[in-house]
Amino acid sequence: MRVVVRTFSELCITVGTVIVLFVVYVLFWTGVKADTAMDDQIEQLQKQWARNSATAEPGRSSSTESPGKAPEKPAAYKDGRPFAVMYIPRLGFTWNKPVLEGTRTKTLKKGLGHYAGTAQLGQRGNFAVAGHRRTYGDPFKDFPRLRPGDPVVLTDGTSWFTYRIDTKPYRTLPSDTAVIDPVPRKSGYTREGRYLTLTTCDPEWGHSHRLIVWAHLDETQPVEAGKPEALRR
Amino acid sequence: MSLVPWCDGRDGMYGFIWRLLPGNTWIKALLSIVLALAVVYVLFQYVFPWAEPLLPFNDVTVDNQ
Repeated sequence: MRVVVRTFSELCITVGTVIVLFVVYVLFWTGVKADTAMDDQIEQLQKQWARNSATAEPGRSSSTESPGKAPEKPAAYKDGRPFAVMYIPRLGFTWNKPVLEGTRTKTLKKGLGHYAGTAQLGQRGNFAVAGHRRTYGDPFKDFPRLRPGDPVVLTDGTSWFTYRIDTKPYRTLPSDTAVIDPVPRKSGYTREGRYLTLTTCDPEWGHSHRLIVWAHLDETQPVEAGKPEALRR
Repeated sequence: MSLVPWCDGRDGMYGFIWRLLPGNTWIKALLSIVLALAVVYVLFQYVFPWAEPLLPFNDVTVDNQ
């Protein structure tokens, strides 16, 4: 009898400790890891851009963007690789996250994920991006605070793209894929255009619903022109 | 003495490990800490990254249900 009680209590203590450690891991450690990974992705991008602009001056290489203000057909994004940095002043003046291609679990641990198959940055169609609401750095923790008129700024190293949010966060079901259509249903858009869709989960710690906001491309300017107005203090 | 060594009624699993460790109390304590840290490392590095995607926090996209 004593043996049974002792073994049982030892098991309980062990399981309890493991659960506490797991909570620490989910709440704290994933954030630490994601912050490092995101900084690393942004650094990678900046290095890559610095290299591109260095080689672009004397006789542009064919792999970089075509000359001119608006690149007509940018090269396809590589799966799991970063290609842009997103800034949303409403979520914090220093809030900036890398955007990676694809929405796989592994990819979303390192930044925001661009839905493969949706439009490219600044192009005609719908540029759709997903991000974690909680865990892994909580990138979209304050998602419900987004309001119409808020800027969402992205850069791909050659241009700044300023999108303006047009809708309040819209709550929908996970199966509602029409929200990332080129002309999203329920968004209020009627014609084709250059749109942006952000998606995250709702409720904060759950997965029963999704929160969506839509934005349209407001301004484009080359990086040489400096930061867009939305990012100046 | 039963077949399972820590079920001999004297002490539990942790007591068994404690008796198994060599040296005096200080060395045993030090080794225990090292063992505990090793377990935490394995949990954080291998077990939790495997278990975490089973929780709902990763479902942030539409459609991949």
